[in-house]
Amino acid sequence: MGNKQTIFTAQQLFYRYRDLAPQLVPLDYTNHPDVKLPYELIGSMPELKDNPFRQRIAEVFSEDGQGNMTLDDFLDMFSVLSEMAPRDLKAYYAFKIYDFNNDDFLCKSDLEKTLNKLTRNELTEEEVRMVCEKVIDEADLDNDGRLSLEDFQHMIVRAPDFLSTFHIRI
Amino acid sequence: MLLLLLPAAAPADLCGTGSPGLGSSPPVLLLPQPGPEEFGAPGVASARSAAEEAAGPGEAEEDGAEHHHHHGGGFRVVQWEWNYVQTPYIIAIWLLVASVAKILFHFSQRFTTVVPESCMLILLGLVLGGIVLIANKKQLYQLDPALFFLFLLPTIVGDAGYFMPARLFFDNLGAILTYAVVGTLWNAFCTGFCLYAAKLLGIIGHHVQADLMDFLLFGALISAVDPVAVLAVFEEVHVNETLFIIVFGESLLNDAVTVVLYKVYISFVEVGGANVLTADYFKGVASFLIVSIGGTLVGLVFAVILGFVTRFTKKVRIIEPLFVFLLVYLAYLTAELFSLSAILSMTFCGIGANKYVEANISQKSRTTIKYTMKNLASIAETIIFIFLGISAVDKSKWAWDTGLVSCTLVFIFVFRAMGVVGQTWVLNRFRLVPLDKIDQVVMSYGGLRGAVAFALVVLLDGEQVKAKDYFVATTIVVVFFTVMFQGLTIKPLVKWLKVPRATNRKPTINEEIHERAFDHILTAVEDIAGLQGYHHWRDKWEQFDRNYLSKLLLRKSVYRKSELWEAYQKINIRDAISVIDQVGPSKKSIYLSIYISKKNFHLTLFATVLLVCSRRENGSGVCLDLQVIDNVPGSKVVEDMETHHVLAGNLYKPRKRSHYSRHFMPLGEKERQDREVFQRNMRIRMETYKSSRHKRHKKERSMKKVRQIHMSVVTKKNFQAALDVCQSPSAAPSSPPTEDSHLPWKGGVGLPPPCVSVEATKIIPVDLQQAWNQSISSLESVSSPPASTEPVHPRVSALSRLGGPRPASYTAPSTTVSSTTSIGAPAPQSSFCFPEKKKKKMQEEEEEEEEPGASQEMQPLMLPVRPPGLLPPPSPPLPPPGPGRRRNPCVYLRSLVAAPPPASGDLHSRRPTQL
Repeated sequence: MGNKQTIFTAQQLFYRYRDLAPQLVPLDYTNHPDVKLPYELIGSMPELKDNPFRQRIAEVFSEDGQGNMTLDDFLDMFSVLSEMAPRDLKAYYAFKIYDFNNDDFLCKSDLEKTLNKLTRNELTEEEVRMVCEKVIDEADLDNDGRLSLEDFQHMIVRAPDFLSTFHIRI
Repeated sequence: MLLLLLPAAAPADLCGTGSPGLGSSPPVLLLPQPGPEEFGAPGVASARSAAEEAAGPGEAEEDGAEHHHHHGGGFRVVQWEWNYVQTPYIIAIWLLVASVAKILFHFSQRFTTVVPESCMLILLGLVLGGIVLIANKKQLYQLDPALFFLFLLPTIVGDAGYFMPARLFFDNLGAILTYAVVGTLWNAFCTGFCLYAAKLLGIIGHHVQADLMDFLLFGALISAVDPVAVLAVFEEVHVNETLFIIVFGESLLNDAVTVVLYKVYISFVEVGGANVLTADYFKGVASFLIVSIGGTLVGLVFAVILGFVTRFTKKVRIIEPLFVFLLVYLAYLTAELFSLSAILSMTFCGIGANKYVEANISQKSRTTIKYTMKNLASIAETIIFIFLGISAVDKSKWAWDTGLVSCTLVFIFVFRAMGVVGQTWVLNRFRLVPLDKIDQVVMSYGGLRGAVAFALVVLLDGEQVKAKDYFVATTIVVVFFTVMFQGLTIKPLVKWLKVPRATNRKPTINEEIHERAFDHILTAVEDIAGLQGYHHWRDKWEQFDRNYLSKLLLRKSVYRKSELWEAYQKINIRDAISVIDQVGPSKKSIYLSIYISKKNFHLTLFATVLLVCSRRENGSGVCLDLQVIDNVPGSKVVEDMETHHVLAGNLYKPRKRSHYSRHFMPLGEKERQDREVFQRNMRIRMETYKSSRHKRHKKERSMKKVRQIHMSVVTKKNFQAALDVCQSPSAAPSSPPTEDSHLPWKGGVGLPPPCVSVEATKIIPVDLQQAWNQSISSLESVSSPPASTEPVHPRVSALSRLGGPRPASYTAPSTTVSSTTSIGAPAPQSSFCFPEKKKKKMQEEEEEEEEPGASQEMQPLMLPVRPPGLLPPPSPPLPPPGPGRRRNPCVYLRSLVAAPPPASGDLHSRRPTQL
């Protein structure tokens, strides 16, 4: 329920994008639409040092899947997280972020990764396995042992204010 | 004494309300005893005379144990030692009156759903006050400010702070602070100035001798929303959590503003309005900062101390609750000592310490703290409202001025509304989830005034403030109006406006995980964007907490555990319990305690799985909803309240964002559960979990962990049986657990249990039978003979066709250990009795532990496997998402981008990864 957030504009976003790599991004971006921000630049930001999802976010939102972001990717990321974006879209991207192996299903390995990231590998293997099973049990409607996007969305539909936190204000 | 008190309360009810609800009250209410007669009793009669010396129980409390004089004369066989016991006696009597009154109110369910308890208590107070006045010609009792501020208020605030939903509170901290500070200031000044204007215009009579400063002072004390009143009214209304936390948080945090304004004005009034220097105003502002920040800091310091102390209480568990009460109370007193904001101090002490204390202390201590705090707070609130009522009946205090009263009422209402609307307008520009109009209406309407205002106004010095009597009368009217009229009407209003209600649904483990993940993701994105937003700071705080605070304040054994993991555990346990709840009919008392040690965690999981429940299937969803709609705490539950207290108290504290409620523990879902829903759940669950359980069970066995869960289920009626409900899936029919082989009844079961084995779960319901039978027999008329060893119950197949899962058999007595009844042909159950030593740990903590292996019985919850054709799908699959779900995210921002991309056509055509 993040009820506080910061407001910033697209213009600011562009400058921010440029600030990340002033040497790569020219000011008149219009002439160089193909510039990409390599993942190393994003991943090496000190603020993100501790963030377990930094790489995953960059990968999901970048077009090439490698975490190298164009300005469009960059803006996409914020639009998905803006309050105007529909819930389904957010759900979709949240799903993508969890789906580490890009197979369009959250299988156990995905969940294990997520969980390990969230708990900083402090759980024993068995515990992780148990939680994952439980997660799947809870949300797996078609009993295929993994969560499809439909499962995921259904879960979100049932929890009214679930994705309401998935916002930042732009 | 009780008999005397009952009639005292009775007329209170009868006169207080002409409402039909009371018609159903028990006959004791109708005893035709006139109230005043109770003073005919010798004890009370002399109480009267003695109490004339001590102005009231409040002051009496300070007078302490000093006893005035003893009866002279020679030796008497029976001595009348009234003076000796007078003070505690009166206090105890008052408590008794209050408690009995509560019981009486709750006799009528329909009535209590309509009329808030606070109203009833005030009415009762009025009546009692009237009785005292008639009998005595003089009002003996009134709400004593010292008693109120030193004893009654802290219990309520301490409880509120300690159980405050922390995350919700901090998520809305900005809004809360705004309303608390700006809103209160606005109300205070506007009310004060407008009252002064009304006085100048002649609306307020001339006999009200007050100048601007007096009115400002009055405005300050009357403008603050009162935490006690807000709690009392709002917790029965069940508005959504955000709304509740904003109003409630405001009422807590505005204490600093009220205190400072009050003190500043008092000093101004003393020196006289003309002599106030400009510097004094700045001093006032500085004072506000010191009072609020200082109060907060004191609270946090005590929170750290509290966390640190509880780290070392492992050997002396018994005093853990005491530490909590003492230190939280000390936080209050210390702040009071330095004239800082005591409420702030206590609130933050509670919020800050909760997490660490809860992790450090034992389960029993948790229960104790929870129960005691709620108990104290509840009784304190009761007393406050009763005394408010009593205080109103005092001729000496009443100085009525219609203009003042009506102006005050109008002004506080109007300015409250204006303030809320104005501030919300500003806040909504920053809020993610804006507060809509309906929220604003409820917030305006929920600005209740209460005992704090009354205590403050009583504290005024009549010498300095000439119009004190008028102010007191006005305050009483305002308090009564807000608590009674607004309290009475806010519920219909909320219903009528369709304010989103609080839902009692519990977070699923999915939500726990994803919410945490979302936090991280958002933090990352904020960081990428170079923002230092809310998530950024929360992330920083969590890092700090993890790196330093937790290490300092948590036991070593605790802090290594991930919070997420804890949450997961809690959810599981709650699930398990709620199932039991579901099963047990609400009329029967089922004492169910679950003792979990860390090792046996997996058991919980089993219990969850086996016992069903969780809201994943539609069925559960339905019952949850039902419960939400109809759950009016307090009305239906009075009888088995105790049960649920015990029940809820034994759970790990859930991390759910629950409504804060002083009187009622979070109950989970319970009484309103349909049997059919239960049946459906059972079936679906069992089917669904079968496969996973198999695997899990195998693993477990191999690890030979001790996992157990003890559920002691005790019903009051009889203790004839101890049942051992033990089920766990066993995947491989060919591999019964080796440990099981020595069990005597093992032989009775010819087949190794194909689907349920017992190893891990150990549930010992002592006389579960009664409750269980009831629920089950209502499920169907399955009355399997207790000692039936028949592996296949003849009725089973028929029953299964009917479609109900059947917890089938109950074997009662402990002697029939071998009597395993099983239903469900292909699924014979086996029970497993744990060796004594494994239980040792449990028993240490458990005084009333039953005979461990005394009796077992298996309780097949499972339906036999049915022909696949008959199986309904566990839940209807979600309709496949239409193609319309595809969205192009680029659209949202692109248009905003300043630099028009030349390749825009190209870009726009690109879609996000296809679904």
